[in-house]
Amino acid sequence: MTTYKGINGTAIQNFAGDPPTPITGQVWYDSVAATFQYRTESTAGAWATGGSLNTARSQLGGAGTQISTLAFGGNTPTVTAITESYDGTSWTEVNDLNTARGEMASAGTQTSAIAAGGNTGSTVGNTETWNGSAWTEVADLNTARKLLGSAGADNTSALAFGGQPYPASAALTELWNGSAWTEVNDLNDDRDRLTGTGIATAALAIGGNDFGINKAVTESWNGTSWTEVNDLNTARYGLGGTGVQTSSLVFGGNVPSPVSALTEEWNGVSWVEVADLTTARTEMSAAGTTAAGLAVGGDTGSVTAATEEWNSPSTSNETITTS
Amino acid sequence: MAKTYQYCVATNWGKGFIDHVESQRITFKGLPGDVWQVPAYNKHGNLWIAKVGGVVKTVAEAQAIVDAEVQTAQAAWDALPDAEKAPALEMNTRPTDITLEE
Repeated sequence: MTTYKGINGTAIQNFAGDPPTPITGQVWYDSVAATFQYRTESTAGAWATGGSLNTARSQLGGAGTQISTLAFGGNTPTVTAITESYDGTSWTEVNDLNTARGEMASAGTQTSAIAAGGNTGSTVGNTETWNGSAWTEVADLNTARKLLGSAGADNTSALAFGGQPYPASAALTELWNGSAWTEVNDLNDDRDRLTGTGIATAALAIGGNDFGINKAVTESWNGTSWTEVNDLNTARYGLGGTGVQTSSLVFGGNVPSPVSALTEEWNGVSWVEVADLTTARTEMSAAGTTAAGLAVGGDTGSVTAATEEWNSPSTSNETITTS
Repeated sequence: MAKTYQYCVATNWGKGFIDHVESQRITFKGLPGDVWQVPAYNKHGNLWIAKVGGVVKTVAEAQAIVDAEVQTAQAAWDALPDAEKAPALEMNTRPTDITLEE
């Protein structure tokens, strides 16, 4: 008779529950549930709830990864300077921005981030950099604006594009070198409330809005200029975005109203619809990668503290049944 | 007609409220007022409601909770100063009514 041990060279292990670190394909006996279990992996991504912010807000900045994240500023709905740090489970308040604002550009990591422009009640060009413990005021954007897109690896290298030097939307692009902003080539399609992914030399500008018209436009930055590539499946603004130029994830936004839960994944060529957020929202911040992303706060009709974690592929423990 | 969805009220406590396995098995829809929509007549939906201590509501009860939350958000939006409302009008960001499905 064929046995598991005969095929795999080991007997099925017995656990009171699940093994501490099961691997895909592993089979075990759960003595508590009195069932045989196995570890499986799905290529389809899914959203799960993450730890909630201490302060609910929308139009906030974000930087970092899914388990090492920084969220700063935003509207509660009044503008705030609050900065919070996430460890993959819970958020902790850290030092505030020097200038309270929402609707800013943001990029970087949990220990090296940048916040630029935004809305304090007035449109500003203020830029601040985060060194892991405090924010420092540095050189302003050349053109003050809010509702702009951004990309960047850390507080020494970033790109800010589009936005609204009220009342018109802009195609302006500026490059941050660690000490100053320099104007570089404009977007092909001016817009605000867009999102960005990638780094200062390889980025995407995605979606947005121009005078009430939703945009599905995606543009790719090669370090010198923008080129239009394939559109989103669903035009929208206020969406979150994370990833790199060749692999990105966008989620939520306004289509235009109500708020959306739609999630799309960029494979380097085109956008593919994947699983929706569990709670539709707009004007959130984003962090992470297409394999492990994070949607933080936003507006669901009112400001929310809720976060969601995207994982693709995801693994699960399943019960072996005979029926 | 058999219903497609069931509704419950449950407070999102954060990490673990909905995990990735649950999210892959069924489709969740979070709504205003801590109302959650999950598939009806579904073992995984029922297990999740039990896990989170959800209070099951009829569609009419859930609709009333959602309506109250939306109306509060709409009133807050309507009370915005005109200066803030002007760009919001352009973007049509006033919270919209939500109709729950059976």
